Amino acid sequence: MLIALENVCKIYNQGQANEVRALSGIDLSVEAGSMLCLKGPSGSGKSTLLAIIGCVFPPTSGRAAIAGKQLARLPDRFLTIHRRESIGFIFQKFNVLPELTVLENITLPLLPLGISPRERRQRAKTLMERLGIAHRENFPAGQISGGELQRVAIARALINRPPIILADEPTAHLDTPLSREFMAIMQQLQAEGKTIVIASHDPLVFEHPAIDRQVAIQDGRIHVP
Amino acid sequence: MAKRGIEKQLNILDYALSSLWRRRTKNLSILLVFSAVIFLVASFLMVSKALSDRAGQLLVAAPEITVQRMSAGRQEAIPLAHGERLQGIFGIRRVVPRVWGYYFDEVTGANFTVLGVDPLQMPGGDGLATALARGRLPEEGEAGMVVVGQGVVETLALENRQLFSLFRPDLSLKTLTVSGEFAKETGIMTADLLLMHPAEARDLFLIAPGFATDLCISVANSREIETIARKIAELLPDCRVLTRPQIQKTYQVVFGWRSGFASICLLSAVAAFIILAWDKASGLAPEERREIAILKVLGWETADVLAVRFWEACLVSGLAFLLGMLSAFAHVLFFSAFLFRPILLGWSVLAPGLSLVPALALGDFLLLAAFTVLPYLAATVIPAWRSATVPADSALGG
Amino acid sequence: MFLNPWSIALTLCGLLALALGAVASRTALRVLRFWDLGSDSNRQISLEGEIWLSSTLMAYGLGFQIVTLFLFVLAADQFAQAIAGAMCATGSLLASPYGVPTLLVKLCGLFFYGFWLLLHQLDIRSEHYPLVRSKYLYLLLLIPFLVLDVSLQTLYIAGLKPDIITSCCGVVFGSTAAGESNLLGGSSRHGLLIAFSLASLSLAGMATILLRRWRPRLAWSYSLGWLCFLPLALVVITTVVSSYVYAMPYHKCPFCLLKPEYHYFGLPLYGSLLLAGFFGMSAAPTGLVRSKPGLARVVDSYQRLAVKGSLLLLVIFAGLSWYHFLKYLLVGGEG
Repeated sequence: MLIALENVCKIYNQGQANEVRALSGIDLSVEAGSMLCLKGPSGSGKSTLLAIIGCVFPPTSGRAAIAGKQLARLPDRFLTIHRRESIGFIFQKFNVLPELTVLENITLPLLPLGISPRERRQRAKTLMERLGIAHRENFPAGQISGGELQRVAIARALINRPPIILADEPTAHLDTPLSREFMAIMQQLQAEGKTIVIASHDPLVFEHPAIDRQVAIQDGRIHVP
Repeated sequence: MAKRGIEKQLNILDYALSSLWRRRTKNLSILLVFSAVIFLVASFLMVSKALSDRAGQLLVAAPEITVQRMSAGRQEAIPLAHGERLQGIFGIRRVVPRVWGYYFDEVTGANFTVLGVDPLQMPGGDGLATALARGRLPEEGEAGMVVVGQGVVETLALENRQLFSLFRPDLSLKTLTVSGEFAKETGIMTADLLLMHPAEARDLFLIAPGFATDLCISVANSREIETIARKIAELLPDCRVLTRPQIQKTYQVVFGWRSGFASICLLSAVAAFIILAWDKASGLAPEERREIAILKVLGWETADVLAVRFWEACLVSGLAFLLGMLSAFAHVLFFSAFLFRPILLGWSVLAPGLSLVPALALGDFLLLAAFTVLPYLAATVIPAWRSATVPADSALGG
Repeated sequence: MFLNPWSIALTLCGLLALALGAVASRTALRVLRFWDLGSDSNRQISLEGEIWLSSTLMAYGLGFQIVTLFLFVLAADQFAQAIAGAMCATGSLLASPYGVPTLLVKLCGLFFYGFWLLLHQLDIRSEHYPLVRSKYLYLLLLIPFLVLDVSLQTLYIAGLKPDIITSCCGVVFGSTAAGESNLLGGSSRHGLLIAFSLASLSLAGMATILLRRWRPRLAWSYSLGWLCFLPLALVVITTVVSSYVYAMPYHKCPFCLLKPEYHYFGLPLYGSLLLAGFFGMSAAPTGLVRSKPGLARVVDSYQRLAVKGSLLLLVIFAGLSWYHFLKYLLVGGEG
């Protein structure tokens, strides 16, 4: 199993007055090469679950093994190191830095890895060509269209060659054709062996034929209909 | 491994540069204020160093021991007979009487240094001839001959005139003939100098024959200066004995004290800047917060973000240091430190209207950095850390 | 003599170092009290963040320590112009009983900061942060040392009384005797040179054996060897090497080497020696934490690096210290 969660709980502000129980008793395992959709209304805890799978923070209790690493009790530094080796993130608002160029945005994850500018550009070039944004290489990311922005976000998620791709509401700011296009790209990536987890409540996503499995989250628990 | 580490730091440095550029208005204001502070501190240190170097150069030419007669706590003319009494002390090479004083010219308001000494008797007196731009040194028995410095030529508007007159204390006129001019390059020591034979100087100041203002004593072995000085003091109880090393140290103390005092004043400028820097660094704009959160979620460690901030601080302070230093250098060298003229008034006696050449060693750069760059780094470290610990998860979610 | 730019700069740096130390020790106290790696509480999360603050502060502390060490020596050299009888830094350091102790404390400070940073680097390489408590205990112990450093320095500066010629009392006689004074009197040059050569050769020998096969006992004697070699090397620089650099048999001063007149020869000389000493001395003691979870490989690779580094720097240092001597032998006296 590439992702294995056992009885995972996440409590924010533990022991304080504003304590929030975001997740409780989550058991989830995802095989390598599958595409999973976490669905549920906003505030249901799916973003928190995605963050735990994405090694952004460890669970408060329970066991979480992501790409062969136990996350529980792992200091922030090692979560970060593991994250940059194993996870590619695509965010809801794409989270690009508008003043940096497309190339700079895509190669951001490579800077702390000590990869030379030449190799960075080479890697990014392959991805940009594949995603059809090569002509935008030196444009500031703030000046390109939404569809291109989404491809920049995908390229950035792929640049460190992670086995797992996570997407948080990726189609929330896209129109229907672009959303379809996004899913098509995800399907391709899955065919190449990537494991993909998408959190979305967009039917266009969770009803897409490429989705192997839907997991509904409600009030911090996996909802079995 | 090590190569990766260096490449990583280079990448981060590169990112820091672009990050500075993106926030250029904010950083430019910091840079300008910082350069101005460094400029002030650096000019001051350069001026005081240049002046104390100058004083050192002046003192090299000073006699090893100077003997002055004191009466009621004031200096008085010393009889030449005193000099003959000293001849018995072993180790004294030569005793040269000197008539030395200031002449205030009421017409131009200038102060001249009058030095009446026999150039043939002075140790290294033959060197004086090479310091002349033209003419020759006055010789024994030539009445009214004088060698003047370039400053004197300018103030009295001598140009090609050979003759000029000065007033004696009783307001009678003494006519002098220019026999030579000192070269411009020796200006540190000679700009305001009138060099004449002792008899002429006595005549100008109306000092009785057989007297001088002080006795200059040259010593065979410079290690014996203190011993000989003590013997002279014992032999001539009514005299003050000054040695060159002592004068030098006194000057150093005074310079050190003055520049120390001024440094404290300048420290307040540094402090004000540090407060500004702290304030600018600690206000974390929402875009900055967002940027750091994105970097962190993309796999940047806290230490990497701290490194970005560190390089930014280094770049800003390095550039400000360079700018401040260069402008201070220009200020001191080409504009004779005009901003500090009023503070340096007391020193103008030593270096009247001269260009100052700041000679800087590695240590002075370090001193300056300790005053400016280190406080800046210390002030920005905690705000930098605050920004670096923005949690990665704030980049997630809507 | 506080009203002097050098004194002010030193005092300023001292105060800054104390302020940084105070902030770091706050983290240290919190870590010692509340650290619980298993907890997911906000306090633990903020403590994990504070680790980076304290390590950055300590790195700055090391930087400040290097700067103040230089400043201190250069300042002493400047003070010499104002103190009767003092010709260079040696004279002004001896002019007060606090001079030499301050210098030694500052020198030791370099190593203490360095060892802390080394401990930190080892610690953050294990997922368990196994050294976190010892690291912060050590940090707390460093604080009194820092205070000692700053107070000695202040006492030294306060104790310097320049002689001012006052016009009323005629002559103030400075003692010229102090100008010739030396930090170390009467050690035999030949004996020292032989001891120095033997010591460097045996250190190099031990390093070569250690690089081929690691033997813990040998490693300890290597580290202890460096501990003894450092003072020996400083003595040899002062009494033998320096006078060849100055090309003056009676000028023996460890500080003038740092001046531009001698092309800052002292910078690479002391730099290589101190860094080599740091690597050499830390090679064996790091073995003590090898058994902590997750540190075995990290420690092994550091130890090899340390031995390699100290060997390389030892060769550089020895080359630098023999250079002027050999030049003297080849070119001859006045060359």
